[in-house]
Amino acid sequence: MPRVLILGGARTPFVKAGTDFADLDVLDLAKAATSEALARTEIDPGQVDEVIFGNVARPVAYHNLAREVVLSLSMPTRIPAFTVGLACASACVAITSAADHIAGGNADVVVAGGSESLTNVPLTLTPRLARALIAASLAKSLPAKAQSLAHVRASDIAPVAPGIRETSTGLTMGESAERMAAMNAISREDQDAWAFRSHRLAAAGWDDGRLAKEVGPVYIDGHAVTADNHIRRDSTPEKLATLRPVFDREHGTITAGNASPLTDGAAAVVLASEERARALGFEGLAAVRSYAYAAVDPADQLLIAPAYAIPIALRRAGLTLDDIDIFEMHEAFAAQVLSTLAVLERNGVGRVPVEKVNVMGGSIALGHPFGATGARIVLTLANEMQRRGARYGLATACAAGGNGAAIILERA
Amino acid sequence: MIASQPAEKLTPPVTAGRRPSVTFVPADASGVARIVMDRPDDPVNAIDVRFMEDLAAAIAAARNARPRGLVVTSGKQGQFVAGADLSLLRGTSQSDIERASRAMQRVLDDLAALPFVTVAAINGPALGGGLEIALACDTRIAADAPNVRVGLTETRLGLIPAAGGTQRLPRLIGLPRALDMILTARQLAPKRALRAGVIDEVVHPAVLLRAATDHAMRDKKRKPKGGATVVERAATHLAPARAFALRQARSRTLAETKGRYPAPLAAIDAVAIGLAKGIAAGLDAEARSFGELAIGETGRSLTSLVMLTLRQRKAALEGLGKPRAIANVGVVGLGFMGSGIAQAAAASGLRVRARDRDAAAVAKGLSAIRTLTTEAAKKGVFERREAMRIVGRVTGGPDLAGFRTADLVIEAVFEEIGTKRRVIAELEDVLRPDAVIASNTSALPIADIAREARSPERIVGMHFFSPVHKMPLIEIVRPAAADPDAVATAVAAANALGKTPIVVSDGPGFYTTRVLSTMIGEAFTMLAEGEAIDAIDRAMTAFGWPVGPLQLVDEVGLEVAGHAGETVAKARGISAPTIVNTLVAEGFKGKHKGGGFYLYERGRRKPNPRVRDLLGPPTHPSGGDIAERLTFTFVNEAVRCLDENVLRSPAEGDLGAVLGLGFPPFLGGPFRYADAQRQRIVTALERLAASRGDHLAPTESLRSRRPYFEP
Repeated sequence: MPRVLILGGARTPFVKAGTDFADLDVLDLAKAATSEALARTEIDPGQVDEVIFGNVARPVAYHNLAREVVLSLSMPTRIPAFTVGLACASACVAITSAADHIAGGNADVVVAGGSESLTNVPLTLTPRLARALIAASLAKSLPAKAQSLAHVRASDIAPVAPGIRETSTGLTMGESAERMAAMNAISREDQDAWAFRSHRLAAAGWDDGRLAKEVGPVYIDGHAVTADNHIRRDSTPEKLATLRPVFDREHGTITAGNASPLTDGAAAVVLASEERARALGFEGLAAVRSYAYAAVDPADQLLIAPAYAIPIALRRAGLTLDDIDIFEMHEAFAAQVLSTLAVLERNGVGRVPVEKVNVMGGSIALGHPFGATGARIVLTLANEMQRRGARYGLATACAAGGNGAAIILERA
Repeated sequence: MIASQPAEKLTPPVTAGRRPSVTFVPADASGVARIVMDRPDDPVNAIDVRFMEDLAAAIAAARNARPRGLVVTSGKQGQFVAGADLSLLRGTSQSDIERASRAMQRVLDDLAALPFVTVAAINGPALGGGLEIALACDTRIAADAPNVRVGLTETRLGLIPAAGGTQRLPRLIGLPRALDMILTARQLAPKRALRAGVIDEVVHPAVLLRAATDHAMRDKKRKPKGGATVVERAATHLAPARAFALRQARSRTLAETKGRYPAPLAAIDAVAIGLAKGIAAGLDAEARSFGELAIGETGRSLTSLVMLTLRQRKAALEGLGKPRAIANVGVVGLGFMGSGIAQAAAASGLRVRARDRDAAAVAKGLSAIRTLTTEAAKKGVFERREAMRIVGRVTGGPDLAGFRTADLVIEAVFEEIGTKRRVIAELEDVLRPDAVIASNTSALPIADIAREARSPERIVGMHFFSPVHKMPLIEIVRPAAADPDAVATAVAAANALGKTPIVVSDGPGFYTTRVLSTMIGEAFTMLAEGEAIDAIDRAMTAFGWPVGPLQLVDEVGLEVAGHAGETVAKARGISAPTIVNTLVAEGFKGKHKGGGFYLYERGRRKPNPRVRDLLGPPTHPSGGDIAERLTFTFVNEAVRCLDENVLRSPAEGDLGAVLGLGFPPFLGGPFRYADAQRQRIVTALERLAASRGDHLAPTESLRSRRPYFEP
């Protein structure tokens, strides 16, 4: 089976929702990441066989965001493209789908990425109002149109924000994470320490140029947005300790400081079969070795599935946790990362040395544009593996619904 | 009836038994018959004598067949009728041309007089005579495609519509809109044409024939109303209102053409006569004017320019290598020129990666590209969604990431040899070996820029003119060491950008900057002799130049102009006038930089009194024709460029001067002008050389009697 190489990629700066990218929509961000990934990889768009994008909060106008990326960038129109969704692991699915298509001989070069604008979340109508409006638009006569709208109540008029609660449990992400913290006995101090570490390492990653190397500026109306804007260089464990819990004000441990923020951003990577990559003169940053998805009962520990995906991916790769040189783990919450590490150890998978985890910070500091994060962690992992000459790297992401992803990369 | 996009080839001799240019197709079950125009020997259906005869025969056949309706259509994919074959005008007399006009008028009168409904199905450019054919139909349906354009473009050639265009268009859409279309020679995209009332319906190309057939079956014969609104109809049909509209059009036209261009006024006259005295009188006026204009010097100059421009697409590639395919273009430097170049490339479908020194500069450049594109979309140059795609084709960054895929890189950085060389060196580190590097410089010799390059053979010059989106010329500079394929690639790129390329030899100022700087230098000399600043500029605009030389220097900027002047002067071994440097030293650097030869206060321009102080007292008594002396200097230098093989041909010299430098188009260009006024120019230059110095002496080749163009 052909080996699948990651040739390179790029992401936009990740910025807090409602700030620098407030006027850009999910397509603008996806375009920025894709064009930058193509440029930095130095791949001619004419070589691309397929484009796959992950996205969660999707405006109705972009039924298939990935295809809009192809068309709006004037990439060759013959490039098929599709959009995938697996909540916060959507871009992981984009990347593993790309890897499968290449490994199966069905594509040679694929752009895979993810994009999210949590500023511009599409609002929807209440089901009753939506049904009434559609019925009215189908009705042939004016009285019939009026009749269709007769049962709409005043309370139906307000738009509905997309669900942040688990459909099956009715709990929000934060509430679920609180539950995980309690079940795994993760203290407030440990969570704040992890959050502080995330900010500190992210700042260091920018300062030494490693993060700058994978972030392409986004140009808006004559000015350039060049850097992530959520990293707090002035953060201290003491300051973090002063923040009030958000989801459980009485007994809780999760604050705005030790959770990932709502974020706008996009990321994309270019994957290729080893043979094509070599023919085009590319070394590649890393190769995709194996991957696994796992899922758990959302009513139990909603965000723990990576702890179950990791051993499967390791088994498929014929590796153990000790073989992994470096880890990129999506940090939805500090409590969730620490829970994952705890469960891995408890289940006998092994102990993850924390100094090898998120060496340039994670989602708490960098931000978390849902659809894009999976591509961000794979890109950062591949770049850092190449810099360190690492043999194996592991990327993980938890997702709503109790899903989790684990992707193992190896030296190119 | 002449259009701006006629056949590039001349009509070959008529061969017996060949397929007719126009055929009549009898009615099918729908009852609708067709006239199909498909000239076998021409890709754009240009109207020649044979075409006209075949059209007449097809119309006669239609009249005899008495179908329920008739669709007039083209047999060519994406081409309707782009106008008359310009070769019709060659070597014929005024009466022949007038006769041809009357013949075409009669053919279209016959079409208009058919007793059943006629529908034109416009699937491509319908320009000049092409639109006049469509105007003779009852209804016009156009395909919604980017190549579909309608317009009466004859005035651009110094001619007027002469197959009923001046008569039928005002009657259809009203006098005000019709005059606007005729006088500006505007080409309308389908949707704009629909709004103007020229077109009755716009449909998808795939539906065009069916829609036209439906109209031919259902519509009734109708009489045009003369405008969409009461006001328009009044201006068309009500004598006092009409007189007012015509008077306004005349005075506006006179102000714009300064009386140098007779065609627009003749068009107004033909329209006026037709509306006042009836269509027969109007057609008569049309034909008479057409004959006069076609034979006149202005008409011939403009027609020849258009023919040269059309031929140049292919002619520019002659004697060069094989152009390489271009899909990806790199642009270094996103200033005014760089962003214009990037936008032009993206607008012609190329993908562009741009680089400037930092993210802020890139952001500014990309923003300028977006603005240029959306402004153009507002003017209808392209459709709004296409505008978004154009913007999407340009990406940029503060480094050379993405340049390895570039097939051609155009650098447009600051005009300084060290900066340019540094950029070349950086590019050589990342570009593919087969990528061509083009330097956008107006004066620096390419060989100097390429001196330290590892592969100088792939470095050429592409001298763009400002503003890029408006200026139709690119001067391609071919250094002696250049790979012929690299030069050909730059020429092909210019063609792809929709610009006219001329190929010139390397050297200080190449062709265009050299002739312009020489003329400006002479203007400085005249200034020192005692001529007034505004007198010089006024004389030149009155002569037909778009802007006077001193005002031009202010607009370009004194430093840039001074630099170009010095580069050119040094190469010719003469000393450059010092006035520019003196002004710069005093802080006068140009229009937006503290003033120059003029001072700019509250939007008003007045001559800078300091200039006279700095120059000292007049050296010569005033005298002689300013515009002639400067224009003849220009012509003399152009001729010298040809003699020294900087230019390949007089045609390229004329194109470069008119399209790039604003040489008065009605004169056709310096070489055409030299052919026409040889004796006067030589005598004047000899007299000037005697009194003002040898640098004004006419060149040997100008003195010789050999014409530059075949008469």
